[in-house]
Amino acid sequence: MSHSLLEIKDLIVSVEDKIILNGINLTIGTGELHVLMGPNGTGKSTLVSAIMGDPRFQIESGQILLDGKDITEMKADERAKAGVFLSFQVPEEIPGVTLEDFLRTAKGSLEKRPPKILQFKKELKEQMKALDMDPSYAERYLNVGFSGGEKKKTEILQLLMLQPKLALLDETDSGLDVDAVRTVTKGIRAFKNRKNGLFIITHNARILEGLDVDVVHVLEGGKIAYTGGQELISKITQDGFGVLGKGVGLHEGL
Amino acid sequence: MNTQINRLPVPTWNRTGVNWLDQKALPPDREYLQGRHLPYDGILPHGITLMDHLPAGVAEIKSGMGEWLDEFIRKGADKTCYLLGEGIASEPVIITQNLDPAQPVIRTHYAIKAKPGSNLTVVQINRGDAKDGVVENLTQIDAQADSFVRLISIQLLGKNSQSFDAVGARIGKGAKVELIRAVFGGKTAACGSMAHLEGQGGGYQQDTAYFTDEDQIFDFNDIASHIGRETVSEMHTAGVLSGRSSKILRGTIDFKAGSAHSVGHENETVLLLSPRARNRTVPLILCGEEAVEGQHAATLGRFDEKQLYYLCSRGLSLMEAKRMLVEARFMPVLNKITQDDLRQEILTIIERRLDEHEINS
Amino acid sequence: MKDFKQEKTRVDQADRTIYDVKDRLDPAFLMDSGITPEIVNQISREKNEPEWMRLFRLKSLKLYNEIPLPTWGPSLDELNMDQIVTYVRPKSTMKAKWSDVPDDIKETFERLGIPKAERKSLAGVGAQYDSEVVYHNVRAEVASKGVVYTDIESALTGPYSEMIRKHFMKLVPPSDHKFAALHGAVWSGGSFVYVPAGVTVEIPLQSYFRLNAPGAGQFEHTLIIVEEGAYLHFIEGCSAPRYYVANLHAGCVELYVGKNARLRYSTIENWSKNMYNLNTKRASVEEGGTVEWISGSFGSHISYLYPMSILKGKKARMEFTGITFAGEGQNLDTGAKVLHAAPDTTSHISTKSISRDGGNSTFRSVVTVTEKAEGSKSAVSCESLMLDSISRSDTIPVMDISCNQADIGHEAKIGRISESAIFYLMSRGLSEDDARALIVGGFAEPIAKELPLEYAVEMNNLIHLEMKGSIG
Repeated sequence: MSHSLLEIKDLIVSVEDKIILNGINLTIGTGELHVLMGPNGTGKSTLVSAIMGDPRFQIESGQILLDGKDITEMKADERAKAGVFLSFQVPEEIPGVTLEDFLRTAKGSLEKRPPKILQFKKELKEQMKALDMDPSYAERYLNVGFSGGEKKKTEILQLLMLQPKLALLDETDSGLDVDAVRTVTKGIRAFKNRKNGLFIITHNARILEGLDVDVVHVLEGGKIAYTGGQELISKITQDGFGVLGKGVGLHEGL
Repeated sequence: MNTQINRLPVPTWNRTGVNWLDQKALPPDREYLQGRHLPYDGILPHGITLMDHLPAGVAEIKSGMGEWLDEFIRKGADKTCYLLGEGIASEPVIITQNLDPAQPVIRTHYAIKAKPGSNLTVVQINRGDAKDGVVENLTQIDAQADSFVRLISIQLLGKNSQSFDAVGARIGKGAKVELIRAVFGGKTAACGSMAHLEGQGGGYQQDTAYFTDEDQIFDFNDIASHIGRETVSEMHTAGVLSGRSSKILRGTIDFKAGSAHSVGHENETVLLLSPRARNRTVPLILCGEEAVEGQHAATLGRFDEKQLYYLCSRGLSLMEAKRMLVEARFMPVLNKITQDDLRQEILTIIERRLDEHEINS
Repeated sequence: MKDFKQEKTRVDQADRTIYDVKDRLDPAFLMDSGITPEIVNQISREKNEPEWMRLFRLKSLKLYNEIPLPTWGPSLDELNMDQIVTYVRPKSTMKAKWSDVPDDIKETFERLGIPKAERKSLAGVGAQYDSEVVYHNVRAEVASKGVVYTDIESALTGPYSEMIRKHFMKLVPPSDHKFAALHGAVWSGGSFVYVPAGVTVEIPLQSYFRLNAPGAGQFEHTLIIVEEGAYLHFIEGCSAPRYYVANLHAGCVELYVGKNARLRYSTIENWSKNMYNLNTKRASVEEGGTVEWISGSFGSHISYLYPMSILKGKKARMEFTGITFAGEGQNLDTGAKVLHAAPDTTSHISTKSISRDGGNSTFRSVVTVTEKAEGSKSAVSCESLMLDSISRSDTIPVMDISCNQADIGHEAKIGRISESAIFYLMSRGLSEDDARALIVGGFAEPIAKELPLEYAVEMNNLIHLEMKGSIG
């Protein structure tokens, strides 16, 4: 029996005194996969960043509950420890820190003690192989000089190694070629289980191939303007947001 | 020895010779009569008027050449030109000064006060030549909130004269000042600019182009001083050195404590054409504020062989390719010069100097 | 990037005072003022030096009195020359008493895990410790290859005396600057290393082995000659803090790199934070030779440190990698100088600097390319990280190019730790402090990479100690 993993209540979020999200309400249950769509610039990234605790965004009012616990006031690392993970749209480059060392440090931080080295190395090798990643990337500085596709794969690698409760994927498929998208989808499938939850921002259906989508939300004018099922996705990708009715799609480029 | 002109904001080894103005470019040691301070009497476009006196608060705007020279020019100016900008000026103000044996000394004190929201462009052209001729100009700019001032300074003197061009600009909230310099003449040419980015969100852009030949001595001292928050500066200098000339460029980005979220970029490229030319580059970054971003880059050397090859593979002769690459360096400055004949004149000088170098080498 | 302990002591002032040394101005110490020729003669006599060295010292003393203090760089007003003079005199013990060594220094030894036996030496107390044995063993091993590794004073008389005379203070003449002249007059102790042609010295030689020699370190002279085709890695200093009662370090390092030879010179310096570190280092590189400088500056109150390389042979090369960490009360003025005086020479300078807690870090350099250096290349890259707004970071590079067949590039960046990078690391569970420490450690990584493992580990420990003292 699933219970609510993520609950967002009347969330109002602003950046530099400008309100971007004006009252968001949504619930994601354990084992569920929700999709967030909407015209560019409507605040989809803002929503997942606010859930992660990005200090650039101010939460004016409302609540974010994870597993029933109020995380609205928590800092980003506390939320990570509570089980939230964000696959960044533009992952940061951290020169001087190798991918492997970084992952080991992060894992140690989340599990409150450093992971056993041999076990960790083995797992890392396996996960990198499953994602068709060149094993030498483990020794490269995190994201430095990585192509867009490699950066996104690295985000999914981190997802699989850190096993959060709630995974927020911010356009993980953008900039990837067909094969890379397939690999990323494979990774998402491997991650998804009955206990965790996924919230995926995407513009097209390729990344969702083979995945069961429970709910599709359309963000527009700072609110969830439309909610529906899996069939919405193909409708939108074929005919655009206008197909949802008047008013939707007119706020392009907000 | 006069160590007061074009001083490096923070001194370094004396042996480098860059702590102050190249001593070979010192102003002539002559006694001058007290300046006559004759006001500018040319036609001004709509939106720009002439002020009788220097407005309050302008005299203290320091230029990059130092207070000693600023004071010297202020006191001894033969001519003054105190411009007031209100609203959007319809056209640029173009002031041409001609040096000749009958008038071998030109010393002008300019002031540009741009009222809030105003927009004006001033073009200063210095030409002519005289034995022991000298042009000494000081321009002090007070760019008030949200104003835009563009100053274009073009120096085309002959090789018997000396040139001194001092500029100081105080940049208010949301205001922007652009300084564009084209320096080609004089047996010595010294320039110094200082932008005081005091108001929040102020911007400063500086583009300089120069081409030396024979025994010319050029000496620059440019400073972008970030005082207010969120201020932005961009300083770019492109130059070519030929003959037995020598050039010193000091470019300083100075972030004062309190200039949070400011950004400063400085860039210099120098093409050394001849084996006897000497280039000295001193790009400083001084920082007392954590939340800033500062960068400078300098590329000094010769033609990029790969670029030359690419152009030749498309049919250009080696000479044409070199000319194209040299002109390309000067585009940021040339593009801002809207007078076609002036731009063409500069292009001709560049071509001639390039040809002379090729013939002589 | 090595693992570091996740637990941390509560960050407060106590952590940082391990490096603070209170000034002690004991009137009993201030007897003589000024260095006299008599004192210099005494020094020379006590050391049983050849006559030429005594005369050399006297000439240097004369220059010292004539040359003024530099007109640039951090202020040297508080340098107490009187106190230093006393310690220069022969028969005076240039050693502190262990009971006088500040508690914080002792605590750092504890934290960095310095063996008890070594601590007294590091603190200038001069006790014997078993690294003497190590030193002798190393000497014996390399001697079999014809390598000379000895203290420079005893080498002044003996088979290498002429070689030393030919090279001593020729790269850094006493006339160079005031503290080179001071060094020429009162220098004491140091290493002499000679590597014959074609010999590769596999293990790095370290000046650390000879710490307990009297006057060691303070006015030490290091002279290294690497002959054609040979290789040597020499390590100077150590990460443990060095404490001296008299607070001036005016050492001199002269490196002669022969044709096609390679010399790597690594330094980690963490002098106690009352020290004035005015060290002059210079290398001369012959055709095809390479000098590599690795430098980590963490200590001193005031530093003037600009290793200089003279590329005098065709295709000579210089690589410089350095990091400077300036904290509270520190004004570290460091950088590098290079002279391209031959064709096809190359130089790479890559430095990083970190300023925090009111520290002042200055990068100062000169790249000179003469008209004889056709085909030369030079690339300078310096990056500075500011951790707060009470500190300073200044970059003062000079390029003097007189050759039209050279390619010279320079870039410098300054900024803070990126907020978005901190958020990214926090989103993976790291606390804000740990995220910062990771980023700063990553910043210093290119230097750590160049050091022998135990030094890299020590350097990382130092950085983490420094970082813990800076946040909160």
